[in-house]
Amino acid sequence: MKRLNLPKESTFIGPALLWKRIAAFFIDMAIINLIVLFPFRSLFQNIVPKDYSFSEAYKLLSSTNYSSFLTSASFIMSILIILYFLMLERKMSQTIGKMLMKVYVVSDNKELKAWQLIARNLVFIPIFPFVLLWVLDPLFMFFTKTNQRLSEILGKTRVVERYSLQQ
Amino acid sequence: MNKVPESNFKWGYAIFVLFLLSILGFLLVGIISLFAGVDVESLSGNVALITLEGVIVGSDDSKFLFESRVSSTDAVELIEKADKNPNIKAIILEINSPGGSAVASEEIANAVRKTNKTTVAWIREVGASGGYWIASAADHIVANRVSITGSIGVIASYLEFPGLLEEYNVTYQRLVSGKYKDIGSPFREMTAEEKEIFQQNLDEIRDYFVSEVAKNRNLNKKDVDKIANGLFYLGVQAKELGLVDELGGKGEAIAYVEGKEKIKAEIVEYKKEEGLLDILGDVMGKQSFFIGKGIGSSLLNSKIASTISIST
Repeated sequence: MKRLNLPKESTFIGPALLWKRIAAFFIDMAIINLIVLFPFRSLFQNIVPKDYSFSEAYKLLSSTNYSSFLTSASFIMSILIILYFLMLERKMSQTIGKMLMKVYVVSDNKELKAWQLIARNLVFIPIFPFVLLWVLDPLFMFFTKTNQRLSEILGKTRVVERYSLQQ
Repeated sequence: MNKVPESNFKWGYAIFVLFLLSILGFLLVGIISLFAGVDVESLSGNVALITLEGVIVGSDDSKFLFESRVSSTDAVELIEKADKNPNIKAIILEINSPGGSAVASEEIANAVRKTNKTTVAWIREVGASGGYWIASAADHIVANRVSITGSIGVIASYLEFPGLLEEYNVTYQRLVSGKYKDIGSPFREMTAEEKEIFQQNLDEIRDYFVSEVAKNRNLNKKDVDKIANGLFYLGVQAKELGLVDELGGKGEAIAYVEGKEKIKAEIVEYKKEEGLLDILGDVMGKQSFFIGKGIGSSLLNSKIASTISIST
């Protein structure tokens, strides 16, 4: 049987588009908030009265009665968030958000290692000096050619997507 | 750079990870709540109920083996916590105490008086002496008609056993620097002068107690002085005297709060939350007590020591 002489499709990879990365991040955070952090959310709802404004809630939780609890809770929440990214990206190079946006995490080296995945998620640890990444990470992402965050550069990882070219 | 992997996303694994992490979250929330002693229910109502049960003491330990005690440190902390919570409109003190340390009673009474919330003392079985001192600091006192209350006075009685020591040929070697350093020692008889000094101090504390009750209840000090002979009064007698405002129980206390604050009361119990370490410490403390008791019994109560404490 003869085959049609169709143009060959070639693919290459490049930095993932920013909007896709941001969308993937928000999808992941929504899932984490909805499922992983559910126990914490219900706990905070019990502590903070419903009619409290954000500043009132912050003032209450910062009081001496709750400060040690809040510190431990926020630290544990950050560990759970890191575990979400670590477990999914280690096994499948993708989280749910990244899968929906068709972007992947890849290593600059041969394969993705656990330390690289931890390094790229250090931004979630709510203690100094990691909190500096809350500012530095987006700045690096917007102002580097490869769209890499600072923690990605440190962890030697990047987020890419597949582009196709028709010849 | 490593090649882009073919998409091998597995929903089964993703759901497993989410499930695992949420279970882990529940477990960790439970653990940190235990360790941090977080009282998650304490902010859900609008009327705080604080129970003061047992002898009033100044120490941090609100439990002495199986006996409840009112620790002034804990009680003041709970009162201040309720006072700081804007959701709480009133505080009900459930009092069941025969009194105790004069200092501890005054500390709690001061904390009650300083609150900006409506306060109600609900006397159950007993609200006498230091227990009444605390109740008097509340805006309103409710007692059962057969509750025991009043007993305004100070006591510092103690056992003296030099005769017993003498019988066993034990002598008390008095080595003091300062004439009154061993005043109140159970090993020797108190002199008349020392008794006089003691009595003066007790009278002074009693006078202060009377002043505080008169001030708190807006009564004439001389009137309070007349009934401050240490005698207890039943609730119904105390109502006639003006030591309590209303006969009743929890329902009456709540009704007062609802009327005063124009709210539908949602009671929330404020109590000292025990963290895991407190519970373990309590269990170990009890074990140590019984081991110590066994050793002590074997030594046939060879040594008795006592110090005077001033109680209301």
